[in-house]
Amino acid sequence: MTMFHFFNCAILTFGPHAVYYSATPLSEYDTLGTSVKAALVYLGTALVKLVCLATVLKVSENDGFDPYQELLKAVIGFIDVAGLYFALTQLTHRNISQNHKFQAVGLGWAFADSVLHRLAPLWVGARGLEFTWDFILQGLEANANLVLSISLAALGSLMWLRKNKPKTLIPIIYTCAGIVATMPSITSYLRRGLGWDFPKVVVFELFTSLSMAFISWQLFSACQRPS
Amino acid sequence: MANSKKPGGLREMLESMYSVIALLFILVACVELCDAAAAFDVYRLIQYDRSGSPFGSRFAALNHHAASLHFPPGVDLSRTVLIIPLRELNITFVREYINQKKPLGGFLVLLPEVLSFKTGGNNQVHEKEKMKNLLAELERLLIHSNIPYPVYFAFENDEIDTVLADIKKNDLMGQPATATTGGYKFVIPTAEPKKVASPTMTNIQGWLSGLKTDGDANQLPTIAIVASYDTFGAAPALSVGSDSNGSGIVALLEISRLFSLLYSNPKTRGRYNLLFGLTSGGPYNYNGTQKWLRSFDQRLRESIDYAICLNSIGSLDNELWIHVSKPPENAYIKQIFEGLSNVAEELDLKVGLKHKKINISNPRVAWEHEQFSRLRVTAATLSELSVTPELLESTGGLFDTRQYVNETAIVRGVKLVAESLARHIYGHQGKNIQIFADESSLAVNPAYIRSWLDVLSQTPRVAPFLSKDDPFVMALKKELAGHVDEVNVQHETLEGIFTFYDSTSARLNIYQVASVTFDLLLLLVLGSYLIVLFSFLVITTRGLDDLISLFRRPPSRKLKTA
Repeated sequence: MTMFHFFNCAILTFGPHAVYYSATPLSEYDTLGTSVKAALVYLGTALVKLVCLATVLKVSENDGFDPYQELLKAVIGFIDVAGLYFALTQLTHRNISQNHKFQAVGLGWAFADSVLHRLAPLWVGARGLEFTWDFILQGLEANANLVLSISLAALGSLMWLRKNKPKTLIPIIYTCAGIVATMPSITSYLRRGLGWDFPKVVVFELFTSLSMAFISWQLFSACQRPS
Repeated sequence: MANSKKPGGLREMLESMYSVIALLFILVACVELCDAAAAFDVYRLIQYDRSGSPFGSRFAALNHHAASLHFPPGVDLSRTVLIIPLRELNITFVREYINQKKPLGGFLVLLPEVLSFKTGGNNQVHEKEKMKNLLAELERLLIHSNIPYPVYFAFENDEIDTVLADIKKNDLMGQPATATTGGYKFVIPTAEPKKVASPTMTNIQGWLSGLKTDGDANQLPTIAIVASYDTFGAAPALSVGSDSNGSGIVALLEISRLFSLLYSNPKTRGRYNLLFGLTSGGPYNYNGTQKWLRSFDQRLRESIDYAICLNSIGSLDNELWIHVSKPPENAYIKQIFEGLSNVAEELDLKVGLKHKKINISNPRVAWEHEQFSRLRVTAATLSELSVTPELLESTGGLFDTRQYVNETAIVRGVKLVAESLARHIYGHQGKNIQIFADESSLAVNPAYIRSWLDVLSQTPRVAPFLSKDDPFVMALKKELAGHVDEVNVQHETLEGIFTFYDSTSARLNIYQVASVTFDLLLLLVLGSYLIVLFSFLVITTRGLDDLISLFRRPPSRKLKTA
């Protein structure tokens, strides 16, 4: 059953975003506009990244891990962070609390990422007769990505939107943000440099995303205590 | 002005959008078909009607799950393809299936890779005789049965072997592949096979004129050398017929080359015309030969002294047979036989004479010389076959590949025929003169024979599937034209009792599919995951009360309105 499989993988990939939106108070405060704006900002940053990558990188013949190229890719990955900064700070949001703002931005960001990177392969591949586990793994990866995006947005909002932070926590916040921002480079290093196969990488991503989410949640609530 | 331009421009834009969308849909639809786990070339069993009765495999398209011979007994195979490699094939099993008309979705036979003319190369075949007998029996069974499901042949390679091993493993665990248990699906997307409308037979004749001196009032006598070049087999896309009758064709070409060398010089030109005939329609009672002979001028036919037909001389057994239909006591037959035996003795070869009377009322023509004899022309067939073949037998089947033919035997056959012809033409009967001696300029060229044999072993030549201007037929004509004075091509329609259907080869796609139960299970798992996620998020962000309140219809509302 081919359309069936496509439907299954689609709800695995995009379902959690919809569920997140409807389950949390985001739906009550009608933050859909924010999410849409964040998705558009993601689109913009993706284009900018594409142009930079095309100018800077050389096409490599083998699939190995080239440290210099990966370093460049990581640097370009920070454009992502810049885009998130733009979405969090520069866009005019309606009067929604900071708590909900970062969630909405993170959700929109992750949704745009999933659609851009995973919809086309899903549509083309999952409808065929041939069965592979790839699309289910891709869906799990989308889930991990959602958690990571929301935690990055949370840390971002802590860094840029909250003015009074406890001094001791600031370096921790920045290191965590750095780790989350460089996650794509880490996963590509695991896949190419160490030769991990796809299921292992997805498990690693899920694990790290959950732990990062937990850490950022702790940091967020810690920062919220004084005010 | 701007307003009037707008609707037109908008329409154009919409139209271009439609075409883009259409292109996108086509692209998307195309991609869906291309992602098979593996794709192979497969060759279909022949489908033909003989006097209205259907024979062969009547279907071409395939879309079923695959099973191997280890399927659990008693399971319904009407929507399953059986894939069997030749080494595990049991003829009685197949015969049982076909004769008892047991329902089957399809049948795929895997032939050993050495038999493939594309990839087998010149590797030696192990257990030649056993494989030859098995293939011959299988072929005979399949050709003469009416099979209501697709039957295909394919060559083994690594990919298909891994797929087969996987299928066997699944079958042994007691789970044949169906829609609910996953497994492998074989898909051959071809159209319904259609009749081949007016199949053509192309006869090629070459004429080498003899030396006509001024004193000759009458026409010079003619000697004809004929070989039929088309084949028939269980898999028409694989019927290369290296021995039947590739050996005959190659021998004819070499003989024509040798005599063209002799005849090119007027001093060595003989007083006989030579007529070379490459006929088609051989497996169908030599229909083509009959039409070719009927098209002859009466004078030409009467001037033919005798005809030698070549049929399968490529095996190295030390005995060749001369089949005749006139009684052996006939003077002409004696002359031909003596001429050939004398040369044969010198070549360490035995030739025997076999006489088979022809029955004019019987339409069956088993040897090519019988068509000549029916028109009162003396003829004989030189062949390694001692037994008269049945209809559609020994016409280039599955086992008749390059490895089963020996070029030394053909060289020997060429020497035999050429020497005896030359001695007859130049009047040196009984003398021990070697005209085509080795190391001479008229030596038989083994490299020529080898290269033509290689080409023939890679060209399937079933007549209904050769078009009028088929490149191979044109190549034969061109080659013959290089050796003779005049070449004529005659196109005839293959009518009579045979009707053929097309679709002889196709592409098999193998997909590894998951079962429906897997998809349903996955849906269940995902549904529960999303529900759990939803409840978790509601509880952590809004509190447990909110979750419960989602499910409870607030009864307090009624109270409030009241």
